[in-house]
Parts: sequence; structure tokens; C-alpha cells
Amino acid sequence: MLIESITQGFALFATPLVVILIILGIVFGLLVGAVPGLGPLMGIVLILPVAINLQPITAMALLLGIYVGGSCGGSISAILLRIPGTPLAAATLFDGYPLAQKGRAAEAVGVAISSSALGGLIGGVILITSAPILAIFARQFSPPEFTMLAITGLVAIASVSEGSFLKGILSGCLGLILATIGTDQISMGYRFTFDSHHMLNGFHLVSIVVGMFAISEMVFQMMGKNLTAKPNIPIVRAEFKSVLSVLKNWKNLIRSSLIGTFFGILPGAGGVISSFAAYAVAKNSAKPHEKYGEGEVGGVIATESANNATCGGALVPSLALGIPGDPIAALLVATLLIFGFYPGPTLFEDQPEIVGAIFIVYLASNVALLILGVLLTPLFVYALRIRKSRLIPAILVLCVVGTFALQSSIFDLWAMLGFGLVGIILRIVNYPLAPIVIGTILGPLLENNLRRSLLLSDEGYWIFLDRPVSAVLLVVNALLLSWVAWSTIRKIRSPDSKQEDPA
Amino acid sequence: MKFASILTAMALLTGVVSIQTAAVAADFPQRPVQTIFPWGPGTAMAADQIIADAIGNELGVAVTLVSTPGAGGTKAFKTAMARPADGYTMISGWVAPLVSAPASGKADWTYEDFTPLHSGVAAAFAIATRVDDDRFANFQEMMDYGKANPGKLRYSSGTAGNLPHKVMAKALKAFGVVAQVVPYKTDGEARKDLQSGVLDFVFVNPGAYMADKDGYTIGLVLSELPAVKALFDGADTVEDMGIDIGLTGLGPLGWTWWLVHKDTPTEQVEVLQSAMSKAMKNDAVKAKLSAIGWTPLEWDHQQYAEIVGSVSTQISGMGDGLLWEEEQIKKLRAQ
Repeated sequence: MLIESITQGFALFATPLVVILIILGIVFGLLVGAVPGLGPLMGIVLILPVAINLQPITAMALLLGIYVGGSCGGSISAILLRIPGTPLAAATLFDGYPLAQKGRAAEAVGVAISSSALGGLIGGVILITSAPILAIFARQFSPPEFTMLAITGLVAIASVSEGSFLKGILSGCLGLILATIGTDQISMGYRFTFDSHHMLNGFHLVSIVVGMFAISEMVFQMMGKNLTAKPNIPIVRAEFKSVLSVLKNWKNLIRSSLIGTFFGILPGAGGVISSFAAYAVAKNSAKPHEKYGEGEVGGVIATESANNATCGGALVPSLALGIPGDPIAALLVATLLIFGFYPGPTLFEDQPEIVGAIFIVYLASNVALLILGVLLTPLFVYALRIRKSRLIPAILVLCVVGTFALQSSIFDLWAMLGFGLVGIILRIVNYPLAPIVIGTILGPLLENNLRRSLLLSDEGYWIFLDRPVSAVLLVVNALLLSWVAWSTIRKIRSPDSKQEDPA
Repeated sequence: MKFASILTAMALLTGVVSIQTAAVAADFPQRPVQTIFPWGPGTAMAADQIIADAIGNELGVAVTLVSTPGAGGTKAFKTAMARPADGYTMISGWVAPLVSAPASGKADWTYEDFTPLHSGVAAAFAIATRVDDDRFANFQEMMDYGKANPGKLRYSSGTAGNLPHKVMAKALKAFGVVAQVVPYKTDGEARKDLQSGVLDFVFVNPGAYMADKDGYTIGLVLSELPAVKALFDGADTVEDMGIDIGLTGLGPLGWTWWLVHKDTPTEQVEVLQSAMSKAMKNDAVKAKLSAIGWTPLEWDHQQYAEIVGSVSTQISGMGDGLLWEEEQIKKLRAQ
């Protein structure tokens, strides 16, 4: 069945137009990913009117190319400029930016692209070999399991905020509070909207991320020296050494890709959580000489392989169940519907060639990302050779354009500026920003699934123990919390304990 | 002489006005037209994208969808109403924010506050159970169990208080069944949890049903229309089961009517109405919409008041299903 599907699909894939559109999609995806505010979702929305006038597989080639390229593109600006182009890359700057500061920008970008492509390929292989089985597994995750998983994610805040544990927790709480703004999903009541229709869906995550990371960073850059001096950064060549560097960290690569795929197959979890989770696991599994947070290649490998593996994972419930895992997958499902294909079990049975062709397109997109990404690395690194007096205004313009494009909303721009101010203040008082992103994403996941669980339960909180997967996750969370508490106490008691600069 | 001068002046004035009007109409649109879409990406967006594309072809400019979800679709309406009324902003006027939200006091407008362009699409609702759920022989048996065990059944319509929720609550009231609703952000998540076994029944539309016919048993079609019954392969309708939900025709269906701000100049409105009318009469467009489970609607702007007014009256009057459900659940919890 699988081989037949792939064989039939190959005939649909093997046309010059499909290959060209994959390449165009990857390049466009890398660009929209790198521009703060835009991202793969916006890229696909922009191209969708064109795509639906193409043949189905050529359209999917273009859109999947943007999905794969866009999921990686955010790492480029995170590494080079300390600005995650998309929320997906928020965890990449932990080690990516310090690497660039050490003069290893080209290596870091190469590693990010190689990790993304290889992680995506691992996610793709899992998608191809096990989509129907994994879809059944995904069904086992219902509100009690998602509640426990959200708690696991929150524990990760403690992990990635090591060195400023309390500040990390406080930042995470700020994210949780921000997540409560808008319309309550359970009662449909309005919370903290101040009678403004702009606030009915809360603040857009991109406004928060671009404001806090990009605007604050640009302000700090402006306050720095040598605004008009031409940076003395050597021209780099495209090299495939980064692929070897990633393969040397094969354990980290495979583990992070599996984490990414796992979060991808769970509808609603998403790439941001997977990249933070993979980073937390990699950091906690590090050898003593590996200094995560100070420019460790392993950190970039973990986050980038995870968030691109999530793309493959997200296609599992989308194609096998017809239930999209995230907004991008929902758009891909909508596109297939426009072409008259119903993602779900029927698609696997009635049109296996379409499923096979999509699988091959996804794998080919990751191969194209590897080749194109590495070849284009010198071009990306060239951004660092631009004078700050020119680079900063250009980035600010891109931030404005990218954020406005989300909903054509001036309010989003004000929110972006407001969060820029919050970011500046938090950085001055040495609070980490990343936990705010985690809190904002995990807040609704935790709150809504907790409340849904209690609505589903006849016995209150016992539902978390009644369901086996939930019970296991509950135990894991208890162990993780104990470990975090123990390591924190040990650290406080340690004579050489010190506060580290937050990410 | 004087009379001739007046006639000449009037003719000139009429000519100038006509030329200006023609110029405005001919000049519009000069840039892409945005359509504020009230939901996140999904099957409804796919349907609206097909329509937007077809209107764009008629207008000669791109017609883009701006997804503006939030507050049951009302955020999109408020966003669109805050934009200049220049014809460059259309609203995909889904029944929930257009009629249902005002009926439940969640919005301060009526359908008469907008200028209609053309009707869009409609989709029917049905109540579905898991195909491998062997606890009940049929839907009636499930309802009998629900009646005997108040609060034990769990169901979802996706978002709380949406039109499917209202229609389902009304049907459950007719059966005398008190069931616990479990709200989700999207109906897709609810369908997943039906398959995972934590929900007993959910609402499905034809698109979701067609994607996985082997996964669902249609228990009750929430419409009396034969065409809707056919979409769900002849499953029992409310009429077949002798249930009165107080809604007929378009009343219990999900549908959209494309709109613009009421202050939009007539010339621009006419251009948009004409373009959408042509688009919705296009056989290829109709075929595409039908293929994904949506029924293309053919009512033009002149029928808006009659059709939407009738639905508005029905929805405003159907009222008490949600309230009854809430009261019954509260009573059960108090016991």
C-alpha cells in the first residue's frame, strides 16, 4: 500500500514544474521566515490565491516549500541579529546568537539550515512509514493528556531559565497572564478586552515576539557604538561542513527530531513548544564541557531539527485524519479541499497517489532546503556586513511591514511597539524574554484543556489518574518538578552560584 | 431663452455627473480588495477562498481573505466596520456574527446595518457518533440513555454558543436530554476527541463527513430539507424523528452572505454586487464549492432582507435551548 502509493505519487511529482516550485517555495519561505513578523503562515496566505490556480501537486510543492523554508528561515535572523524571524526560532537565539558573536555566524546558520533539513527529513520518514498508526496514537491524546503536556512545557521554563530561575518563572507568569486576554474559549466571555474589539482575540503572538525581541534589540543596537562603521566581517563561502557537524551530533539530532515529530502529531501543540522542549532536553543531557546558552552548536541543532520535524508531524493528523495540527496545516488541508481532495482516511484509500506525491514533495522540500540553504548562507551572512545605520532602519521597516501584514491592523503595530518597550525594560532589569513566549503559547493549552478535562470528568480531578497516558505524564511532571526544585536548591547553596545574563 | 438655458445647464450637469459616476465605477477597484473573514483557516476558508478568487477574476484585481478570528466572529465584523467604507473592504458575513450574535446580545448590530452583495455558501449540520461505538444500537437509544441519565452524555459543537450548539441544544431539549457540552476552539478538535472516545457525539458538516465516512455514524440530520438528507446519505432528519427545533429552511444551516459597510458608495457597491453575482453564477465555481461539501447560494442582494430577515426572526425566536441546557446542568451540579 505504502510502496504503491509512493510509486504512483512519484509520477505526479517528477515534473520540472514541481521541482521549480519547490525551489521557489523554499527561497520564498526562507525570506518570509527571516523577516520579523512574517513567517510560513503569512507566506502561504500570500501565495494561496496563486497556488489554487495551479495543478494540485504543483500547488502543494509551492506551499510545502514555503512551509519547510519558512519554518527554518526564522533561525537566520535569530542567529545573525538576535531577532527570531518567527516565534518558532525564539529558542534558536539562545545559542545561535552567541555563536555569531564569536565570529561563527556562517557555521551557526549552516548548522541551523542543515539541522532543519535533516530534522524535516526524519519527520518526513516517520510521516511516510507510520502516518496512519501515529494518527491513531494522536487520538489517544485528549484534554487530560494535553493538560499534563502543557505542565511539562511549563517545567521547561525552569529548565531554559537556569541562572535566573525566579525571574524565569516570573517572565513565564507574565506570558500566562497575557494569554488570558481575549475571548474565553469555554464561556465565550470577554477578559481584559477593555471594550476594544482589537483585544477580542488577545494580542497576536507575532506582535509580542517581534516587539519584545526585535524592537528591543534594535533600540539596544542604536544605543551602541560604531553605528556608521562598516563591520569587519570576512566574506564566507558556502560549505557543506555544517552537515557533517550536525551528523556528528546524531543523538541530539534524532532525539530532537523525534520530539518535534511527537509535538507535531498532536493537534494544537506546535513547533514553538517542540523547539523549547527539545532545547530543554538537549541542555539537560549536555556533557559538562558543553556550555548551552553561550554558543553551543547542540542548542541550534536541537531547536531547529525539532521545529522542522514538527512540520512532518503536523502533516500526520492533517492527512490521515483530516484534522489539522496547526493553522498552517489547516491551510494546507483547505488547499487540498479546494482541489477536491478530502484529507482523511478516504484520501489514503481512494487517492493514494496524491498522498504519495505529497510525501515525496515534503521529502524533496527538505533536500532542497539543505542544498539551497547552505548555498545561500554567504548571502544571509552578508547582512552582518551592512552598516548598522542602514541595517537598523531596514529591519524596523520590515518589522512594521511584517506585523501589519498579519491582519492589516494598525493596532498590532501599537502592540508591537508596546511590547518593544516591555522588552527593553525587562532586558534592563535582566529578566529573560523566552519564558514569556512559552507562557503565552502554553497558557491557553493548559487552561482550556484543564477546564475541558473537568467538564468531561464525572469524578473531578481523578480523570488525570484514570487515563493511563495522563497518569504517566502526571508522574513524569512530578519527577521533573522535584528535579528542578532539587537542582535549584543545590545551586543556591553552591558557593560559586551567580546570576547569568538571561537570553 | 431662459428655459433653454436651464435645460442646457441641466443637461451639462447631468452629463458631468454621469461622466463622474462612470469614472468612479470605471476606476474602481484600482487595488486589491480585502475580505474580512471571521474564522481561522479551515474548510470555511477554503469555500470563501474559492469565491474570493472568482470575484477577483471578475474585478480584475486580487481579492484577499484576511483571517480575523475572535469572539465568535464578531471581532471580524467590528474590524471591517472600523475600516473606510470605500468598497475595498468586504465582509464574509457568516450567520454566527451576522444574526446569531445579535440575537444572543453579543453584538449591537442587526443584519440591516450592512449592504448585501450576494449570498455565498451554506452547509448543513448533523449529529454524529463514533462508528465503532457499540453502546447504543441507534441514535434514539442514545437519547433514551441520555434521558434516563441526565448529564452523563458529553458532546461538542466546537465553539460554545455557536449556531450548531444552539441547534443541538434545541434538539436535545426536544428529546428531553440533558447533556454536558464541552467547548473547543475548532470543531476539528472536537471530532478528534469523539474518535478518542471522550465525547459521545459531535456536530459534523458535509465536508467533515465526506472526509471520513467510515469514521462516523450520522445520528440526526439537523434540517428537514431533502437535499441536506441526501448529503448525509439519507440519515434520519429532525422531521423523520418527529423533532421540532423551531428552525426551517436556511434557519438551522451555517451560511454566509457577503457584505460591505452601509456607507459604501452606491457605485462601488454595484461593481462588487455585479462581480459577485457573476462569480456565483459561474458553473466552475459552483462545482468547486459543491465538491467540498458546501452548497453555493444563488440569492442576490435584492433577496437579502427577505431571506436573512426570516432567518433572523427564527433564530431570535428559537432562543431557549442554551438557557435550558445551562439551567439543567446547574441543577445537576447542585444535587
